Amino acid sequence: MRIILKEDFEKFVNSLIKDESLSVIGVKSKGNKFAFGHLDSASELRLDYDVTILPPKKYFFPQRETLVTYNVANGFAAKDSSDLKPTVILGVHPYDIVALLHMDEIFRETKSDPYYFEKRKASIIIGVNIQNMSERCFAPQMGCAIIDHGYDLMLTDLGNRYAINIGSQKGEQLLDKYAKNVTDALARDVQMVGQKKQEIMNMSQLKFNFPTELIPEMLNKTYDQSGFWEKHSEKCLACGSCVLVCPTCYCFDVKDDPHLSLEHGERVRTWDGCLLEDFAKIASGENFRPTRPTRYRHRYFKKGKYLFDRFGFVSCVGCGRCSSNCLPDIANPVNLFNDMYSEVLNMGVVIDAPAEPEVNIKSEGDINYVPKLATIINKVPMTANEMLFEIKLDDGSTLNQVPGQFIQVSVFGVGEAPISVSSSPTKKGAFQLCVRKIGNVTTRLHMLNVGDKVGIRGPFGHGFDTEFLKGKDLLFVAGGLGIAPLRSLFNYVLDNRADYGRVTLLYGCKEPRELLFGDEMVALEKRDDVEYKPTVDWCPENELWTGNIGVITTLIPQVNFDPESTYAIVVGPPIMYKFVIADLKKRNVPDDHIILSLERRMKCGVGKCGHCQINQIYVCRDGPVFNYSKIKGVPEAL
Amino acid sequence: MKPKVAFFDFAGCEGDELQVANLEEELLTLLEQVEIVSFREVMKEHSDNYDIAFIEGSCTRLQDEDRLKEIRKNAKIVVAIGACATIGGINSLKNYQDLDDVRRTVYGDKAKLFDTYAARPIDAVIPVDAYVHGCPINREEFLHVVKSLLLGKKPDIPNYPVCVECKKNENICAFERGEFCVGPVTRAGCNSCCVNEGTKCWGCRGLVDNPNENSQKEILIKYGLTVDDAIKKFRLYFGWQERKR
Ligand SMILES: Cc1cc2nc3c(=O)[nH]c(=O)nc-3n(C[C@H](O)[C@H](O)[C@H](O)COP(=O)(O)OP(=O)(O)OC[C@H]3O[C@@H](n4cnc5c(N)ncnc54)[C@H](O)[C@@H]3O)c2cc1C
Ligand code: SF4
Ligand code: SF4
Ligand code: SF4
Ligand code: SF4
Ligand code: SF4
Ligand code: FES
Repeated sequence: MRIILKEDFEKFVNSLIKDESLSVIGVKSKGNKFAFGHLDSASELRLDYDVTILPPKKYFFPQRETLVTYNVANGFAAKDSSDLKPTVILGVHPYDIVALLHMDEIFRETKSDPYYFEKRKASIIIGVNIQNMSERCFAPQMGCAIIDHGYDLMLTDLGNRYAINIGSQKGEQLLDKYAKNVTDALARDVQMVGQKKQEIMNMSQLKFNFPTELIPEMLNKTYDQSGFWEKHSEKCLACGSCVLVCPTCYCFDVKDDPHLSLEHGERVRTWDGCLLEDFAKIASGENFRPTRPTRYRHRYFKKGKYLFDRFGFVSCVGCGRCSSNCLPDIANPVNLFNDMYSEVLNMGVVIDAPAEPEVNIKSEGDINYVPKLATIINKVPMTANEMLFEIKLDDGSTLNQVPGQFIQVSVFGVGEAPISVSSSPTKKGAFQLCVRKIGNVTTRLHMLNVGDKVGIRGPFGHGFDTEFLKGKDLLFVAGGLGIAPLRSLFNYVLDNRADYGRVTLLYGCKEPRELLFGDEMVALEKRDDVEYKPTVDWCPENELWTGNIGVITTLIPQVNFDPESTYAIVVGPPIMYKFVIADLKKRNVPDDHIILSLERRMKCGVGKCGHCQINQIYVCRDGPVFNYSKIKGVPEAL
Repeated sequence: MKPKVAFFDFAGCEGDELQVANLEEELLTLLEQVEIVSFREVMKEHSDNYDIAFIEGSCTRLQDEDRLKEIRKNAKIVVAIGACATIGGINSLKNYQDLDDVRRTVYGDKAKLFDTYAARPIDAVIPVDAYVHGCPINREEFLHVVKSLLLGKKPDIPNYPVCVECKKNENICAFERGEFCVGPVTRAGCNSCCVNEGTKCWGCRGLVDNPNENSQKEILIKYGLTVDDAIKKFRLYFGWQERKR
């Protein structure tokens, strides 16, 4: 521990500011509040602040950030980061440091986010122990009011001087280079710092009525208490304030921002939040979290359960920002969890031990937000709204997808959309996408011509396990556009026909004119190693249809299969799953013999943006292909 | 061929067209993309041959409806610009008063010569394809809508409240400054500009799709507004939308 007199500390800060190779940020006053901002002079620094309006995450994960630039003439490029300067952030409270450590884990897991970490690595964090605590702060209760790591330097106010804990070599070097008259701390100083920390631990007015380790289990028990969630969220404005100001919230949206010439532009990510109404809404209009209670509940589960299961920490540091920014005052975690505890007691449920999560964090490589350029080499209309595209990567590489995986397709200036690869990997060279025109990207895609360029990222996610399915009988069940992802596996199986047992395809759509891949289906009818049964919901009088009429489930009783040796692969619109699964269960198909592919709103494709989340699962990363036995108990899944 | 664009005004102050006329440099770039065939604010010529019609102002008279239907027939895309056109705007305030009174206040003795009916947004009369909200509109957003239409995409107009932008801009909430704000139910997209300037949101962009009006009113009252004043707060811009709900 070191000591610096306050006047020397001020000189230290001013000499940091004078060095133009550094960017110096600190806590300043803003009206009667505080905010992190650029320091022009040490005199602006307010280390006695209680809480800043926004946490310092805005320097690592800004409100708006360019991910990729594009130029219609020559494609996509990574954002230019050459002007990034080493950034000193002065006055970070311990809870915000803990929050940054959480964010580090979140942005590192699976694949690490290069834009977050370039800024994180360029930063020097100078923390300060809390001198005034905001009235909504409960950091002591969350164990986040004091900290012994995660900073480069940590200050404690001792009246006429600061005690400085050195947390890293980077911090020590900064001190050596820019500070004068730094001395070693005396035993008395060390003791005073210990005393200050004790005081901080007792500063908060807010108290939990139960041990906070029980939070994840308590959430577990109250998920289905819809009355509880309705009552608490009744006044919710869906304003997102509680998540936007949170130091551990990280959901984002991605959008294209074209220049007025439309020749070039950038793809930006902006803060988003699960409390906002359209967060989980998809182009067809379906909203997977359509009500205030479900969105409100999701926030608490994300903080207290889902991230806990994944990382082993409750992702709330007790800063109290959510609570002080919620106008109807319903976002205070202390109140909610105390009420939840009463609820659990009323339910007569006993929670004796905290949950032990199985944390298994892996990280392989960096996320690449830059799409590869590709060319449309063929385009075949299949129905009024669906088009089959054949696409080739310009660098000559093959996609190497696993059947069932998806890619993110970019159209310049319009954006990205997740689309399943519809062709089998046995088809070399180009790959195929079957796209329904429904929103911006997909409509624009339909308007492109052969020879036009698109961007491709991926393949992403978990596809079908072709090895595991070898030797098994396969029952394919496709509803509408569900045939698109299913076809990648189906064709793969046909190309390796000897490796698989019986193959049956049940395919249903609304009416005959909506049937996709018509020629291929006709060809199937001639094969004797495949049983093919199509159905339509109805057939207009002037159209010809010789197959079954009725919804897809009417086909299930018509086919023979042995539930023990058969694996059912089911892909269709969200509404279809419940019914098909119920009918398969009637035929005694075991849960783990049912495989499905789910659709959710997607932005990043790599488990970060939060849009595709169903409870603890990320569809983009853990799916889209799932074994039914794994998601059966996941309430938001089906 | 460049798309042809025309501007029309109904009952409004032309403040929105002025915003467009004032685009300056961007207007020149814009003119590389589109051809303006009718724009009273800046030119004398007029043509009925256009692809995109921008309409400002609300519909306040029965006879305006024919003119609107004519525009709808001529244009491939109709864009409502400014609060009067998108949500009925301030004009809708009068919907809560006796219409004859309104006529007398506005036109005095000549009142009988002018007929008027409840002010309404353009989409109460003809289908509208895109909206540029605001009173007046924000130039950035106007350009965003134009770019989107040129790219063949639906403009990205948020369905979340102004608070979202306010938080991103790290503003001090109006309520904490002793002011009353309807940002929590108002559609964002203006980058919370009024709050950034130190005031509050009056609601000029209209309501979000599913506003929690009860909660908003409760907040206004909790912070000290009377029930009547809270309702008035709502009517300034939400008049038409409120009635419809
Ligand atoms: C794993 C997966 C595979 C898919 N495979 C296919 C396919 O093979 N063929 C096909 O036609 N469609 C497929 N979809 C659906 C397709 O992604 C959406 O129709 C598409 O994103 C709509 O984008 P848009 O820009 O046209 O619509 P807009 O309404 O303008 O949507 C804007 C943005 O919201 C997001 N979004 C909207 N709807 C969806 C959605 N349904 N799913 C995911 N994100 C969405 C996207 O980021 C999209 O760009 C798939 C979706 C997923 C999740
Ligand atoms: S801040 Fe409050 S009102 Fe706003 S979304 Fe969060 S819980 Fe709802
Ligand atoms: S949930 Fe609330 S108290 Fe917890 S870290 Fe986020 S903003 Fe702070
Ligand atoms: S919206 Fe506002 S600026 Fe536009 S015409 Fe109406 S009053 Fe004028
Ligand atoms: S000032 Fe208005 S818009 Fe901003 S946060 Fe407060 S209530 Fe919301
Ligand atoms: S802050 Fe409110 S009043 Fe101001 S421009 Fe935005 S919506 Fe209109
Ligand atoms: S987390 Fe972003 S798409 Fe899944």
